Amino acid sequence: MFKNLHLKVGLFVITVLVLALAFLVYVLHARGFFEQRMHLQLAAASAEGITPGMPLTFSGMPIGQVASVNLNDAGGIVIKAEISQSGAKWLRTDSTFNLDKPLVGGAKIKVSTPDLSSPQLPDNATVLLLVTDPAQEIPALIERVKNILANVEHITRQDGELNSTLANAKTITTRMSGKYGVLEGVLGSEENARPVVNSLKNLEGLTARLNEVSAKVDAMLVKADRWLFAEDGMSEQSKQALAQVRSMLTDAQGSLKRVDELLKNAVDISANVKDGTQDLAKLRADIDDSVRKANDLLNDINRMWPFGGDADMKLP
Amino acid sequence: MEFLLNFVERTGAKAVGWWNATFAVLAFLTEVLSTLVRPATWNRATLDTIVKQIYFTAVQILHVYLVYVLAISWVIITITLSTARDVGLFDAATEMIIRVLLLELLPFLTALLIALRSGSAINTEVALMKVNNELDALSHCRVEPMQFEFLPRIAGGIASVIGLTVLGSVLTLFLAYFSIYGLSTSGFDAFSNTISTVFGIGVLMGLGVKCIFFGLAVTTLPMAAGLETPKKLFMVPVSVLRGMMRVFLALVLIEVLSLALEYI
Amino acid sequence: MASLPEDRAALVSPDLPLRANLSARENIALIPLYQKHFDAAEASHQAQTLLEQLGFASIGDKRDPDMNPSERFVAKLARALILKRPQLVIERPGAMLYDIPYPAFLRELASRFEGAPEKWEVFDFDWNRPLYDRE
Repeated sequence: MFKNLHLKVGLFVITVLVLALAFLVYVLHARGFFEQRMHLQLAAASAEGITPGMPLTFSGMPIGQVASVNLNDAGGIVIKAEISQSGAKWLRTDSTFNLDKPLVGGAKIKVSTPDLSSPQLPDNATVLLLVTDPAQEIPALIERVKNILANVEHITRQDGELNSTLANAKTITTRMSGKYGVLEGVLGSEENARPVVNSLKNLEGLTARLNEVSAKVDAMLVKADRWLFAEDGMSEQSKQALAQVRSMLTDAQGSLKRVDELLKNAVDISANVKDGTQDLAKLRADIDDSVRKANDLLNDINRMWPFGGDADMKLP
Repeated sequence: MEFLLNFVERTGAKAVGWWNATFAVLAFLTEVLSTLVRPATWNRATLDTIVKQIYFTAVQILHVYLVYVLAISWVIITITLSTARDVGLFDAATEMIIRVLLLELLPFLTALLIALRSGSAINTEVALMKVNNELDALSHCRVEPMQFEFLPRIAGGIASVIGLTVLGSVLTLFLAYFSIYGLSTSGFDAFSNTISTVFGIGVLMGLGVKCIFFGLAVTTLPMAAGLETPKKLFMVPVSVLRGMMRVFLALVLIEVLSLALEYI
Repeated sequence: MASLPEDRAALVSPDLPLRANLSARENIALIPLYQKHFDAAEASHQAQTLLEQLGFASIGDKRDPDMNPSERFVAKLARALILKRPQLVIERPGAMLYDIPYPAFLRELASRFEGAPEKWEVFDFDWNRPLYDRE
């Protein structure tokens, strides 16, 4: 029994020692004790939100961490970071360093390297740390997106400019295809011809505006995407919703392109006026549909996002 | 007036009682430490008794302990992961699990288990030795009970708290890894990174020191309480009650102090 | 009795029990082990030899609760003898050896034992004197 006891205790003690030692070696290995680490100095305007131990990530994978944050004698911020050997190869001279502070979750420094063929970043290099705080910009961004969508709605409302223009165009083209044919429409009189020209001008201007608007929305959405939804922060739903908005706007854009073509056709006033009329009717329905969808989505987004009517941010 | 006097007197008696108890514990600790550093202490016989104590304190309950750690870790890991998923803080889940389980909960629960099982036994045994005159008999023979009764139990207690915590922690680490990443090695780098951020050299040393203090508390406090027992058999339960209460207070105090040092 | 200088006299007394969770041999071996710093095997051997000399070799592995009064007494006696102090005092033997004619038993043990101290002193109640005078 005594022999057995010693054997058991010996086993226990040896297991514990081996595991403790293995864990120590593992921690030291994980902390990069056994490898040559690359050192970086990050220059930033403010050290706010930067703490030692904060990870540096490249394409979402951790490659190193902030070692220390200090003030130098001149009152500047000195942030020292350590990069693991395997991570160092992703750092090039044109790499950018962004402080990423998501609304929820831990902050990190995102490293992105646009061109992997540029020369390697040397050890102990000093790089610029870009700091953006999405929390302050989001309410303004949302307000702008809402304004733009309201504009789109206003333009395309039932009694709006686009509709009435299209209605005019329809009347004219109906008359063209009517009893008196094309001649009445074009050569009939100046009184008849003027609205056509005006409406065509209107349509052209409108198209340009819509194009501009949708380009703006697009750019804004790209920005929002980068700030807000860069990682799986907020909610997948809102992300999808935004994607839908974008595709819808692309739809609207496509429809407008078709309007453009039609208008070119109309200017030609050729034989296919009849086709044009049908197309115009369909187009109107298309645009109406797109706008209605966009409107619904906007409501959805408003409902899903915590910032409803007021531009206040609320964390979940 | 008399009431006031009585009150002051009672308060004074209590204060003196507390002071005496604290002093006895401190004196006992000093004796432990002085025995510890004496080279003559470290002979084969002492080591043998320490081995025996480790057997009784740690090895005998190893399987029970591991099952218990498995259950607690599994529950806490599952809760943490599902909550983290719900609120979108999955990145922080690993760190939270490691911090809560490895740094705080496991050492504390291990110490509590050893206090319940071995601490109470030590307290009863020492109290009975005192009441039965066995300690007087030993002192008549000029054999210090410190060396073969007390010190091995203290060393065994410390070794057991550390050993069981190490085993439980390793088990929990594996459990956490498999719960988060499943049976693939894909998460190894991220997992290592989290571990490296949590376990600084300071934190590791702090954890070791905390385990040593836990081990000291669950063994010396019951012994000191046992030695204080008056030579009356009916005082043995009272002595165990007091000793275990002190152990509990000490464990909470050590835990609070370690948290304060780490996060404040 | 309390006035006996402890380092001069080894005491066998009902007030000085054996360590309950150790066997008789371990109880005796404590002294060479921790006081005279022999190693464990040697201390254990000395204890066993002494028990054999007193004619109680078989009680080596028994613990206090498993022994009968005479066995318990012999264990205590051996523990006192192994201290090798100049005086050996047996205090109130009647309280420890309550189920046998103890003066004869004491004489027998003393005759078996070889070594210091040659003379054992017995402290007993005065009214027990006739028991010792019987032979």
